[in-house]
Amino acid sequence: MTSTRTRTRLAVFGFLGPFLALFIATIVFPLGYALFQSVTATARSGAFGEGGGTTVFVGLQNYAAALSDPGFISSLGRVVLFAVVQVPLMIVLATALALMLDAASARGVKLFRSAYFLPYGVPGVIASLLWGFLYTPGISPVIDLGKVFGLQLDFLGAETVLWSIANIVIWQYAGYNMLVIVAQLKSIDRDLFEAAAIDGASSWQVITRIKLPLIAPAIVLTTVFTIIGTLQLFAEPLVLKPLSSAITSSYTPNMAAYNQAFTNNNYSLAAAESVLLALVACAFSFGFLKLIGRRQNA
Amino acid sequence: MRLRQAAIVSVVVAAVLGTAACSGGSPESTDSAGGGVTELTFWSWVPGVDKAVDLWNSENPDIQVNLEATPAGSSGTYAKIYAALKSGNGAPDLSQVEYQELPGFILENGLVDLGPLGMDDVKDTFSDWQISQSTFNDTIYAVPQASGPMGLYYRADIFDSLGIATPTTWDEYAAAAQTIHDANPSQYINTFPPQNSAWFAALAWQAGANWFGLDGDTWTVDIDSAETLKVAEYWDGLREAGLIATIPDFANEWYSELQNGNIVAWPSAQWGGEIIAGNAPDTAGNWRVAPMPQWDATGDFASANWGGSTTAVLKGTPNAEAAAEFAIWLNSDPESINLLVEGGYGWPATKDALASTALNQPDDFLGGQNANEEVFAESDAAVDVDWGWIPTTAATYTVLNDGFSAAIAGNGTFVDAVKAAQSATIKALEDKGLKARAGQ
Repeated sequence: MTSTRTRTRLAVFGFLGPFLALFIATIVFPLGYALFQSVTATARSGAFGEGGGTTVFVGLQNYAAALSDPGFISSLGRVVLFAVVQVPLMIVLATALALMLDAASARGVKLFRSAYFLPYGVPGVIASLLWGFLYTPGISPVIDLGKVFGLQLDFLGAETVLWSIANIVIWQYAGYNMLVIVAQLKSIDRDLFEAAAIDGASSWQVITRIKLPLIAPAIVLTTVFTIIGTLQLFAEPLVLKPLSSAITSSYTPNMAAYNQAFTNNNYSLAAAESVLLALVACAFSFGFLKLIGRRQNA
Repeated sequence: MRLRQAAIVSVVVAAVLGTAACSGGSPESTDSAGGGVTELTFWSWVPGVDKAVDLWNSENPDIQVNLEATPAGSSGTYAKIYAALKSGNGAPDLSQVEYQELPGFILENGLVDLGPLGMDDVKDTFSDWQISQSTFNDTIYAVPQASGPMGLYYRADIFDSLGIATPTTWDEYAAAAQTIHDANPSQYINTFPPQNSAWFAALAWQAGANWFGLDGDTWTVDIDSAETLKVAEYWDGLREAGLIATIPDFANEWYSELQNGNIVAWPSAQWGGEIIAGNAPDTAGNWRVAPMPQWDATGDFASANWGGSTTAVLKGTPNAEAAAEFAIWLNSDPESINLLVEGGYGWPATKDALASTALNQPDDFLGGQNANEEVFAESDAAVDVDWGWIPTTAATYTVLNDGFSAAIAGNGTFVDAVKAAQSATIKALEDKGLKARAGQ
């Protein structure tokens, strides 16, 4: 009846209301404003702009400037390379840890689960500072230990700093991704394992024939999140920047946009770079989902 | 049902109230017109400035200053001030602003003209070049606070043990670098910081370069001048011969190397002594200061300035007069200056700084040497006063930092970095809608 439908609609909006209000205020509105800023620029006259600064519409000029900046393009290439290497490593590690925790012969499961998840509780900046101390020659016990064995370890050099950052990211988020997969593992019907035991399946066969196919949705979810997060790499290189001579101001696209906005006061260019990064992240995420979808339908 | 409707209504109301509460700001309430205390907010990162502020507050009950100790300007405080000025609220009444950032603030129309607020009367008490770097279009926008005349800090004990005489020219300095590194492969004379191009700018300044100027309403950019390239080639030579470290300064690794004696010298400014003393206290007594090495042994003594700040009053403050009064007091009152000198804030901006302040005394950290009188006074007098900055100095520093980092990683040279900075700086000015050209 009508009154029920209206009441239902009211209930829907009532429950969605708080979320929608915050969503529009904190995500939709800033996104729209960034898009608006990315197609404008400030025109000035006079040596100090004392002739007046006006906001003018410039079309895609900021996007052209961003795409013709070799620093920004190389930063995009760098995070893509980072993602290509780091995402599989992260997902394989998280899945392996989850499977080990779920093994029938596992001992001390609660202890290890907490231990693996603990790094996620450390805020990103603090984690980077901690690892920065471990990477700095003269302070790091790891480097001193390496010298005992005759190894010259250089964690902050030009070839190695990207992978040192990957190490921090994997250390932080492997536990979190592992928990998502563990949750899916727990939801597998235990009858399947009993049937497999009766059929004489080895534990490796149980993993490959039963567990992995059934946790595929969780793996897809964590992969998409990891791709999106990896392309937005920001806090770790920013914190390590004063320690390493290899990290430039536009090492990652987010750092490049941050530099343009807060050092150079070029908000329009920063907005354009942010939109470009968002487009790359969308392309990778949807591309990955499409790839998975096609394989499932095949 | 009634209960469900009530629940829905209360949830929606809570959401609306919650969002409204989030959007309200917290405007600073100051009471400026007669009767009542004027409250000023002052952002600064000068060590020891709190003592001077306390002194003012005790002597001036009608104008009270709230000091907020912020991180260094280029570590985020300038960004905060720019954002606050753009949004129209949250900016302090006064802030410390370094010389190279003043044009940037004027571009964003962020500073108050201090001429009619007292500076016109007292500008002769401050050093001429610092007044000139605070003046644009014949308007004084800031009160000079301190500068950093340069000198060479070095480990006298290590130099003596290796038989090295104090270098007086850059050629002698390079020879000393060779001797030091040959004797001990893990020891270096100093580090070339990959991300502190302000230091490199000071060295170019000392070599006679003049990077920036204003010709009418067109900015002139001359970063790749012969003098600058000479400095870049010099350090390229030392880097390629492996005679200098290339670690970041003001960072843990560098402090560690200072502590264990693997870095034995530092061409630095007068405020550098406090940095070494604070981070390598066990090396006390072993450091001395010598005049900056010269490019030309026979010509006039040339020095430069590294760093230095002003106190500026930010647009939008309702208390500009009171703020200007405090700023002028902070930087010219003898008692205030002595308190700031104790904290190691730099070389006071007032004329006759050595004679009229607590600078003129021996320093235990330097083994009893009175470096201020012996080295820094002459250095301050020899600073080339024609140097100026542009509204996009921060962008120039970023490009130079990136270029130096690339050279250290093996991609290119310092000379390439300087040339890249020349074209990038002109482009940065043009991107801001300003006119720029190469040359003097």
